[in-house]
Amino acid sequence: MIGAEPAAAAAVQVVGGLLLAPLLPGLVQLFKARLQGRRGAGPGQPFRDLRRLWGKSAVTVEGTTAVYRLAPAVVAAAVATAVLVVPVASRTAGWGVGHDALALGGLLALARFAVAAASWDTGNGFALMGASRDLMIAVFVELTLVLALAGPALAAGGTDLTAIIAAGAGATAWTTPVRALGAVAFALVAIAETGRQPVDNPDTHLELTMIHEGPLLEYAGRDLAYLQWAAAARHWLVLVLAAQVFLPHPAAVWAQLALLPVVLAALCGALALTETLAAKMRILRVPRFLAAGAVAAGLGVTASLAGLA
Amino acid sequence: MIGTLLIAAVVVVAVGAVASATRRGFGTGLWTQAAGSAGIAGAGLWALLAGERAGQGFGPGLVAVAGGPDPAGSPLRFGVDGLSGLFLFALGLVAAAALVFSRGYLTAPGPDGRDRPDGRARAVAALTGVFVLVLVLVLCARDPVGFLTGWEAMSLVPAVVILVQRRADARSRRTVFTYLAITHLAGVGTWTAVLLAARTGVLGGSMAPPGRGVQVVIAVTALFGMGAKAGAMPLHVWLPRAHPIAPAPVSALMSGVMVKVAVYGMVRLLVVLLGPLPTWFGVLVLAVGGFSAVGGVTYALLQHELKRLLALSSIENVGIVLLGLGACLVLRAQGADAWAAVALGACLLHTLNHAVFKALLFLGAGAVERATGTLRLDHLGGLLRRMPRTGVAVAVAAAAIAGLPPLNGFASEWVTFQVLLRLPARHDLLGGVAGLLALAALAATAGLAVTCFVKVVGLVLLGPARSAGAAAAREVPASMTGPTALLAATCVVLGVVPGLLLRPLVALAPWLPDGAGAGSAGVTAAPLGAALHLPGSGGLPTPGLAAVLVALTAVLALARGRRSAAPAPSWACGQVVGPELNWTGAGFTKPLRLVLESVLRPRRHISVREEAGIVHEVTYRGHVPQLIDERVYRPAARRSAVAAAYARRLQSGSLGTYVGYLIGLVVLLLVLARTGVLA
Repeated sequence: MIGAEPAAAAAVQVVGGLLLAPLLPGLVQLFKARLQGRRGAGPGQPFRDLRRLWGKSAVTVEGTTAVYRLAPAVVAAAVATAVLVVPVASRTAGWGVGHDALALGGLLALARFAVAAASWDTGNGFALMGASRDLMIAVFVELTLVLALAGPALAAGGTDLTAIIAAGAGATAWTTPVRALGAVAFALVAIAETGRQPVDNPDTHLELTMIHEGPLLEYAGRDLAYLQWAAAARHWLVLVLAAQVFLPHPAAVWAQLALLPVVLAALCGALALTETLAAKMRILRVPRFLAAGAVAAGLGVTASLAGLA
Repeated sequence: MIGTLLIAAVVVVAVGAVASATRRGFGTGLWTQAAGSAGIAGAGLWALLAGERAGQGFGPGLVAVAGGPDPAGSPLRFGVDGLSGLFLFALGLVAAAALVFSRGYLTAPGPDGRDRPDGRARAVAALTGVFVLVLVLVLCARDPVGFLTGWEAMSLVPAVVILVQRRADARSRRTVFTYLAITHLAGVGTWTAVLLAARTGVLGGSMAPPGRGVQVVIAVTALFGMGAKAGAMPLHVWLPRAHPIAPAPVSALMSGVMVKVAVYGMVRLLVVLLGPLPTWFGVLVLAVGGFSAVGGVTYALLQHELKRLLALSSIENVGIVLLGLGACLVLRAQGADAWAAVALGACLLHTLNHAVFKALLFLGAGAVERATGTLRLDHLGGLLRRMPRTGVAVAVAAAAIAGLPPLNGFASEWVTFQVLLRLPARHDLLGGVAGLLALAALAATAGLAVTCFVKVVGLVLLGPARSAGAAAAREVPASMTGPTALLAATCVVLGVVPGLLLRPLVALAPWLPDGAGAGSAGVTAAPLGAALHLPGSGGLPTPGLAAVLVALTAVLALARGRRSAAPAPSWACGQVVGPELNWTGAGFTKPLRLVLESVLRPRRHISVREEAGIVHEVTYRGHVPQLIDERVYRPAARRSAVAAAYARRLQSGSLGTYVGYLIGLVVLLLVLARTGVLA
C-alpha cells in the first residue's frame, strides 16, 4: 500500500511533467513579452500550437528511411521516460524506471542521438548544422552536469534523486559553498539544455543561427508536435531539478509539492529575465561558458574533500 | 567437466584450422572452427557461472587440464577459473561470429558464381584458427612459460595475417614493423612483471603480497607492458595503424579480444595476484584510463576512414575499462573492499560489452567494404536501405557503443560512473580529486562518443549514396549477416539483463569472503536479478527502462499514424538539392574541432586559383595530426636513428679495430681486477 505522500508526489510528477510541461515555455514567453513591453500570448499558447500541429499532416522528405519517421517518437519516449525518472519530492512512488540521476543523462543522450540521426537521414544542411552544434554543446553540458550533481550526490551518499532531494532539504544543508557552486554550474546547464539565450535562441527562425530548432526544420504535423512537446518537457526536467536539488527547499513532502509551482514560475521568470538581458553569445564561446560552471562545481567538491568547507 | 569441454573445443578448432587450409575443406573447416569457438564460449560461461556458485575466487587453477600426476610440479600448467571463463566466453563468442563471417568475406564469387577461396584466403582462415588457439593459451596458462609464449605468439600471429593478406606491400610492411617494434619494446614490461611475479612466488598462487618495493615494480612494469598491448595512451600508436589493415574478421578478433586479453593480464596480475597496491598506483591507472578515453574518442571522431575510426574508439573503450580498474585499485587501497569488487565488475562488464559491439562494428565494416569497395566515410551513405540487415546490426552496435539506453554500453558505463563516484566519497584528497577528474573525463567521453557514432551512422547508413560504389551496394550473403545479427542480439540482451552477469563478475573478486558472493558487496538484486541496483544509486531497472522506452515509442509511433503529405525534397533555401550540398563528416565535427583547436592543432591548406580577379578553383585540404605521434614518437625515432648511426661507427669491419677492442677490454678488466673493483 502506497502512502498518500508518495502517491501524490508520483501524480504531480506525471501530471506536471507529461501534461502541464508546455505551460513552462508558455510562461517564459509571457514573462519575456511583459519585460519587453508587449502584451504577449497567454501561457497556454504552446497547448494551442500543439493542438494545431496535431491536426496537420506530417511531411515525408524524399529519400528518408524509418529513422526519420521514428525519431520524433523516440525523442518523445526518451524524454517522457526521463520525466518518470526525475521525482518531484523526497518521497515518491516509483514508475518502474528507478530514480537515478545518471539514467537521466543516458535518456537525454538517446534523444539527442535520435535527432542527429534523423538530421543525417534528411541530409538537410541546416538540420545537420544545428545537430552538430547541439552535440558539441552536449559534451560540455554532460561534463558540467555530472560535476554539478557530484556535490549533492556525495552529500546524499549516491545518485538516487529522492535521497538527494531529502539530503538538500532544510536550511542547514545550504551552509556549505559546495551547493552554491553546484547551483551556479547547474544554472548554466539549465540555460543550455532548455535552449535559451545566451546559448541558443528559441525564437529565431533564421536557419544559420539555429541550434535546437535546426533539426526540427523538416518536421511538420504530429512529428513536430512530439518534438515541441519534448522541448517543453525538457524545461520541466531541468527546472524541477533546479528547484528540488539546486535550490533550498523544505523537508516535508507536502510543502515540497505545494512550493513547486511557485518556484517553477519564478524560475521561468528568471529564464525570461536572462533572455531579455543577455545577447546570444558566439557559438564557440559556449563551451567556455559551460566549462566555467564545471570548474566552479569541481572546485566546490574539491574544497569539501579538502575539509575547507 | 569444463576442462574436458574446453579441450574438446580446442581440438575441434585445431582440426578446423587444418581443414580450412585445404582447397576442399575451406568452408567445412571454417564451420568446424566456429563450432569449436562456440564450445570455448560455452566452457567459458560455464566456468564463470560455476565459479560463482561454488563461491570460489581464484586459485592457481580451478580445473587442472594437463600437467601429469603432480600439476603443481610440472613446468606447464593450465587452468580455467571464473576470470579466464569470462574472457574465454568473449573470445568464443566473437571468434564464432568472425569465423562464420569469414566464410563469405574471404571468398569472392568467381565468374561461374561459385566461391573460390584462393591461397591467401585459405591461409588467413587457418591463421584465424591459430590466433584463437593462441588466445586460449594465454587465458588458460598458469605458469610463466606458457603465458609468455602465448603472449608473444598473440602479437606475432596478427602480424603474419596482415602480411599474408596484404601481399606484403610496402605500407603494410612498415605498419607491421611499427606494431612489432612497439609490442616488443613494451614486451620488456610484460616479461619483467611476469618473471618477477614468478620469482617472488606471486604467480604460483601464493596470495601473500611480497615486499612493497617488488610489488610496485611488478605493478608498474605490468601497466607499461600490458597497457601498451591494450592500446592505452600514450602507448597506443600501433593500434590505429595495425587494426584497420587486417582482414575484417581478424580486426574483430584483435580489437574485440586481443586487446581484452591484455586487460585480462592486468586484472590477473594487478587485482588478483598482487595484494592491495598503494593509492597512487590506482590514481596512475585512472589517469591513463581517462587520458585514453578522452583522447581515443576525440581522435576517433575526427577520422575519415571507418576502420581507423573504430580502432581509435577501441582506445577510448580500453580507457573506460581502465577507469573501472583504477577505481578498483584505489578503493582496494583504501579498504573499501565491497565497492572495489563492484569496480572490478564494472571493468569486466565493459570489457565484455566492448568485445561484443566492437567486433560487430568491425564485421559490419567488412560487410560494407565488400559491398561498396570503400571504407572512406564520405564515400558511403544510404546503406540502411540497400543493406537492411547489416545496417540495422551496425546501427544497434553504434547506439550501444555510444552508451545509449537500453543497450549494453549504457549499463556498463553507468556502473563505471557509480564506482567512480565512490572515490570522492572516501574523503581522501588524492583519490577523491582523481575520482572527480575521472568522472568528468567519463562524462565528456560519453558525450563525444555520441557525436562520433552519430557521424558513423549518418555517413554510412543514412542520407544519399555519396559514391557510385555505395549506390550499387547489395546486401551481403547470409553467412555475413547472420553473425552480425547474433552480436546485435547479444548487445540488446546484455543491455536488458546486465545484472545477471554483473553478479558473477563482482563475485570474482578474490578478497570477498568465500561463498559471500555479490550479496556482501552490496549488489542487492531485484527478484529476477536482471536489473542493476547499487547501494546509494537510484537503481537502474534495465528491464523496466527498456520496456517503458519501447512501449512509449510504439504507442507514439502508432498515434502518429501514417498520414503524410506528398514527399518533398529537403529544404535548402529553395536550391535544388544536389550532391554538392551533401554534408561531410569533416563539416559535422567542425564545431568540436574549432573548440578543441588549441589542443588538437589541426592543419589546413587552402589554395585559390585566381585568374584576372576571378576565382576559378579553391582546393581545401585539412587534417588533424596525431599529437603523440608527432611530438613524442617521431622525435624519439629520429634520435634513436641518430644514436644508432653513432653506434655503427664502432662496427667498422676492420679486423685491426676489433683486436684493438679486445685488447682494450682485457686491459680494462685487468685494471679493474688489480684495483679491487672486481673481486
